[in-house]
Amino acid sequence: MELLCLGLNHRTAPVEVRERFAVGAPLLGKAANELVELAEAAEGVVVSTCNRTEFYLVAENAREAFGKIELRLAKKIQVDSSVATHFYRKEKTAAAQHLCRVVSGLDSMMLGETEIFGQVKQAYQAALEAGSTGAVLNRVFQRAFGIGKKVRTDTSIQEGSTSVGNVAVDLAEKIFGHLKNSEVMILGAGEMSRTTAQSLVSRGAKSIFVANRSFDRAQELATEMGGTALRFDDWQSVLQRVDVVISSTGAPHAIVHRADVEKARRARKYRPLFFIDIAVPRDIDPAVGEIEEVYLYDIDTLEQLAEEARTRRQLQIEQCERIIDLELEKLNLPGT
Amino acid sequence: MDRWFLIAATLLAAAGGIWGMISVHRGKRSPWTLAWMFAVLLCQIGFLAVRGEMRSACPLMDRGEILAFLAWSLTLFYLLVGPAYRISLLGVFTAPVVAIFQLAALIPGTLTANPTKLAQGNPWHETHSAMSVLAYGALALAAVAGVMFLVLDRQLKEQHLKSGLFRNLPPVRELLISLERLLWLGTALLSVGIVAGFLMPRTAAAWGHFIAAIAVWAAYALLLAIKQVRGMTGRRLSLSAVVLFLLSLAVFAFV
Repeated sequence: MELLCLGLNHRTAPVEVRERFAVGAPLLGKAANELVELAEAAEGVVVSTCNRTEFYLVAENAREAFGKIELRLAKKIQVDSSVATHFYRKEKTAAAQHLCRVVSGLDSMMLGETEIFGQVKQAYQAALEAGSTGAVLNRVFQRAFGIGKKVRTDTSIQEGSTSVGNVAVDLAEKIFGHLKNSEVMILGAGEMSRTTAQSLVSRGAKSIFVANRSFDRAQELATEMGGTALRFDDWQSVLQRVDVVISSTGAPHAIVHRADVEKARRARKYRPLFFIDIAVPRDIDPAVGEIEEVYLYDIDTLEQLAEEARTRRQLQIEQCERIIDLELEKLNLPGT
Repeated sequence: MDRWFLIAATLLAAAGGIWGMISVHRGKRSPWTLAWMFAVLLCQIGFLAVRGEMRSACPLMDRGEILAFLAWSLTLFYLLVGPAYRISLLGVFTAPVVAIFQLAALIPGTLTANPTKLAQGNPWHETHSAMSVLAYGALALAAVAGVMFLVLDRQLKEQHLKSGLFRNLPPVRELLISLERLLWLGTALLSVGIVAGFLMPRTAAAWGHFIAAIAVWAAYALLLAIKQVRGMTGRRLSLSAVVLFLLSLAVFAFV
């Protein structure tokens, strides 16, 4: 019996191809059973995320199984047979290595991301419950999860945030701890501030105020995030109660000056205040950052921190792969 | 025997501090800080028990005993506050302070070699001593939290965010909350100590110490009043907690 993997991901296939093969989470178990039938294989697991769809199989003959599944899948999904050019094929040890890389986040678009671990676990669980796994895939997947955990524990592949939004949220948590007691104000309803504010809300921020030149747009964004819209001229009145200010207006000059913040200090009882300035040109006068309890970060600093985290993760790849190879060697897995 | 307990407590505190700092430097938080500090506390209790037996009273009669009691109080408050607020790094900052206090107590001449047994103790005197030193433990820990805030504040302001220390320091708001609560606790305990001081029999020589203690209490009370009524930046509160604690140590010059 041989372990094999057939798959496509963000590097090999455009989104219009990937979406044809995508399988929703509730259907993963059923899809795994269909896969076993299509490939006339002994065992099967279907992993499907927004960036990849992969079929893990155990079959007598890898080459034959690949042929059957490509042909029958193309027919079932009603796509041209040329779609096969988007697939990658891995056999035996290479398939196990690939699974370990996927679980460890080494094959992800955002290197080292942790979500994929849970997604693969969910896919395996669905296949297990559907009865499409057996001795080989059970052992391979369980070992891959163990190796994935070891990679994340023994290296810093998941350390640091790699996007501007996440860097800002991490900093907010370093200042305020749990964000459930924190209030956020957005100046300018642009895409960047929306994404950053959404990250803050997803980590529990208590309430959001949106101030925008166009009040309609402010209302739209506030409704989307369950917050409150403000007329742009009213932002100073809210400054005394918020903890985080995200600014991303299209103004050609600074709109938040030191004097504006100085005015609110006494009413705020000098509590810490975090300014995230993601606008170019900058919305917040750098002199604001000189106020004792104010922490001011602009887009360049946030981008630099994200870039440093990405570089650190890149430097960890070799070490992660060494761990995977060593662990797989030790385990002598079936089907590899 | 008493000295050996104190030496063991000092070595454990120093080793715990160094181990914790190495871990933090490597970007990890030592899971053993709490265990080290608990072992320190046990040795301190051993020391205080032996000295208490020798004195037949609360062992707060010479500078060495006061320093050792202060170190015990500091350790005790860390063990109460650190895990509750998940501030294990507080232990890494506390351990060196504990080691320094105990080292000072071990300097020859600081700890009376053969302490005399007290024929009859005064309960108000013992309450005054015990509550005051307990208060100092809480205020010392507030100063330690203040130092941690100042380090974190500087790193955030200067955007030096790569160090292991930065990653392991607790959030600004949590540090400030713990700092303020410790100041309230320390000041409340100091108030009890001062009331007991009023009620205990005093010699003329004790007046200097008593006035200094009242001045310390008044300074902390004023700091808390300003923080409560007007508000204060974290940096000023932390600096005040550190400076006031260092100045308040002068009270022991009058013991």
